[in-house]
Amino acid sequence: MTRHLFRALLPLAFLAGACAPAPPGGARLAATSEQYFGDVTPPHDDTFTYNNGTEPETFDPGLAVGQPDGRVARTIFEGLTVPDPQTLEPRPGQAYRWEMSADGLSYVFHLRPGLVWSNGSPLSARDFQWSWLRVLRPATAARYAGLLYAIENAEAYNKGTLADSNRVGVHAVDDSTLVVRLHAPTAYFLFLTQFYTYLPVPRWVVERYGDRWTRPEHIVSNGPFLLDFWRQQNRFEFVKNPRYWNAGAVRLDRIVAYSVEELNTSTNLYKAGVFDWNPSGYIPSQFIPYLRHYKDYRHGDYQGVYFYSINVTRKPFDNVWVRRALTYAVDREAIANDLLKGSREPWGNFTPTGYPGYDHPPGITYDPEKARECLRRAGYPDGSGFPRISILFNTSEDHRRIAEAIQAMWRDVLHIEVELSNQEWGSYLQATTALQYDVARRSWIGDYLDPNTFLGCLISGDGNNRTGWSNPRYDALLRQASVEVRPEKRMALLREAEALLLDESPIIPIYHYSTNELVKPYVRGLYRTALDTHPLTGVWIDRDWRRHEAPLAGTATERP
Amino acid sequence: MDTVNFVTRRLLMMIPTLWVIATLTFFMMRLAPGGPFLAERDIPVAAKEQLMRKYGLDLPLGRQYLRFLGNTVRFDFGPSYKFPQRQVSEIIREAFPVSAELGAWALLLAILLGVPIGVIAALRQNTPVDYASMAAALIGVSVPNFVLGPVLVLGFSLTVFLFPPALWQGWQSRVLPVLTLSAAYIAYIARLTRAGMLEVLRQDFIRTAMAKGLPDRMVVFKHALKLGILPVVSFLGPAAARIVTGSIVIETIFAIPGLGRHLVNGAFNRDYTLVLGVVLFYAVFLMVLNLVVDVAYTRLDPRVELK
Repeated sequence: MTRHLFRALLPLAFLAGACAPAPPGGARLAATSEQYFGDVTPPHDDTFTYNNGTEPETFDPGLAVGQPDGRVARTIFEGLTVPDPQTLEPRPGQAYRWEMSADGLSYVFHLRPGLVWSNGSPLSARDFQWSWLRVLRPATAARYAGLLYAIENAEAYNKGTLADSNRVGVHAVDDSTLVVRLHAPTAYFLFLTQFYTYLPVPRWVVERYGDRWTRPEHIVSNGPFLLDFWRQQNRFEFVKNPRYWNAGAVRLDRIVAYSVEELNTSTNLYKAGVFDWNPSGYIPSQFIPYLRHYKDYRHGDYQGVYFYSINVTRKPFDNVWVRRALTYAVDREAIANDLLKGSREPWGNFTPTGYPGYDHPPGITYDPEKARECLRRAGYPDGSGFPRISILFNTSEDHRRIAEAIQAMWRDVLHIEVELSNQEWGSYLQATTALQYDVARRSWIGDYLDPNTFLGCLISGDGNNRTGWSNPRYDALLRQASVEVRPEKRMALLREAEALLLDESPIIPIYHYSTNELVKPYVRGLYRTALDTHPLTGVWIDRDWRRHEAPLAGTATERP
Repeated sequence: MDTVNFVTRRLLMMIPTLWVIATLTFFMMRLAPGGPFLAERDIPVAAKEQLMRKYGLDLPLGRQYLRFLGNTVRFDFGPSYKFPQRQVSEIIREAFPVSAELGAWALLLAILLGVPIGVIAALRQNTPVDYASMAAALIGVSVPNFVLGPVLVLGFSLTVFLFPPALWQGWQSRVLPVLTLSAAYIAYIARLTRAGMLEVLRQDFIRTAMAKGLPDRMVVFKHALKLGILPVVSFLGPAAARIVTGSIVIETIFAIPGLGRHLVNGAFNRDYTLVLGVVLFYAVFLMVLNLVVDVAYTRLDPRVELK
């Protein structure tokens, strides 16, 4: 009895109040209604406060990797195109129009007249050319340089095999015209030009201050907001950029972006009304079933997949039948619906949903009979003679629970012994990169709306492959797709590649990511999107929100 | 031996100690699997080589070590690997005052509450007052701060909005983290004071003072307390060190931009320069605090001599 009580109370203590029911009253919480999670009093000025999450490593657009870095970079810089806040379709940004050649190989971007940096210096097409070449220059060591490989000769220049930057396919023909030549037609190129790696940076500041150019006292930018204050592991403050070309459309005066890593703390701050937005990834998964009932909770598909990767360079995983046995013995429904309380979608494909024009091959489904049959064909009838294997995961409660569930599934279905190996982040990364594991927990989040952002990872020898799997036919299919001009044909090639990948099973897909976020009802213009990208340019605070409380577009709870 | 001599000698002894700590930390960091430029998303080989060269990580380990020692002597730890736009010294300068402030408030509160509770408990030994305060102290010591923190947040910022649930802006935001951090120390100091006072109260000179007819108040505050809190004083050195260096959990729960989080995140990120800088800084801080306590001790208790 005592033990039960203790076990019941312990998680409560950990999770603090975020899971408590809406508080009954109190002066500060007067506006709380049962339908919303916590305080719904709008701020008295046009300030938008949110949690940006983990402290960004850098917000130098050319070097940034990851959501928190990208959110800051996109708030203060603007690219040739900007994502539509709802659909993420490319819209005119610093370029007001562009043309694509008939063969899809070249683009001409026309910059708006009179563009300036935040210090008043004119911004020209040369700034874009210099910024893109900077990302590609080997000395810059940009992790996302690969996103520019669509450009002619970019890869060779980045890898150091081509020294002449003039041969890279980006040229400013005059102050306002940028001509880009691609090495193959790239259907998603205009999506790329809005990505942070493609944002322009001020050459003279970068050259003068080196690594320290992004500090508030030095930085010069061109986006809707300017960096006003930064304190590490605490917060960023941005103010409206009066020199932004569309400053009239910017309704916020100030944005405060906190760097709170802890999920419970972030959710508490949202509940107390400090944060107006608690973005996806900062709500503890245990809260989600409870938060579903609130009007300020939003949920939808996110372009990410949680999977296990198999080290095919080790025995017995070099045998495709062993890999198939393992993948068919995973009950994805049980993991997503029971273990994770429906906060995730079970998923049997490697590429996620939501890619325009892409039709998935049939996904892997749970099939214990088939799994046992595969194991028999691999030479281990009923698991006999199968060596003890281990599942590697990095420290996290959810990863552990999933690993335990899969351990049990493999034991029950295949009668094989599985041990769990938990490592902290750095050691885990080392083990997966150096192929020192049997089966490892992994995940992948797409960078742009195209299956290539996933399938490209498993090309032979790719740094993100990390399975040791190499298949000449798979590589050939992806190569063919990369030069294919007809979109349907291209998608068919990618589909064939994914089907081959699933059949070969170097990876075991488990679930599809979802976005789970909390947005106060008075925040307007902040939409849920498939890439979890949120342009803040058009966000505003509606102090009169009660008057049209009926869900406005974009503030409604969206369910897939 | 006079104080100046003692202090000088102790300061000189810090040098070999720091060298050992620096060396151990340096090699332990390198032994940990992985490295600063390993990420979930692969870094192109060329980019990684470039970064390794930039930070001198391509050199043989021996030379890296010598270079590190040389830089350390000049108090230059270089930029953080994870946050290259910031110098390690700058991170320490910005974050340490926050941890120090949090720790100072917590320690002050611990003394202001812990000492009186201990004195009262000792004077009312074996009465309900004594039992109640010692029971409370036992709870204070036993409840871990990662439980107490969220419970306080639940009570005082989510159920009734009195204080913000986290962050470090304005005095209101200081209340809950300071309370959480100090709880265990209040309890510990109360117990130490009680034990110290009980011992002193039994001694002859106290009996003499009583016999002379001095008022109780005078006996307690003038004679007994001065010796009775000696155990507390010797506890304060390590406590101050532990409270400042060990507030990592509180800093995480309350999203406080202190140095503890930098150290832990630095270790996870294999941010070699940041970890080395912070470890050495903490080492100096701890040694100086211990020295201060030793010197303070002689001022309170003439029987103690500096050796």
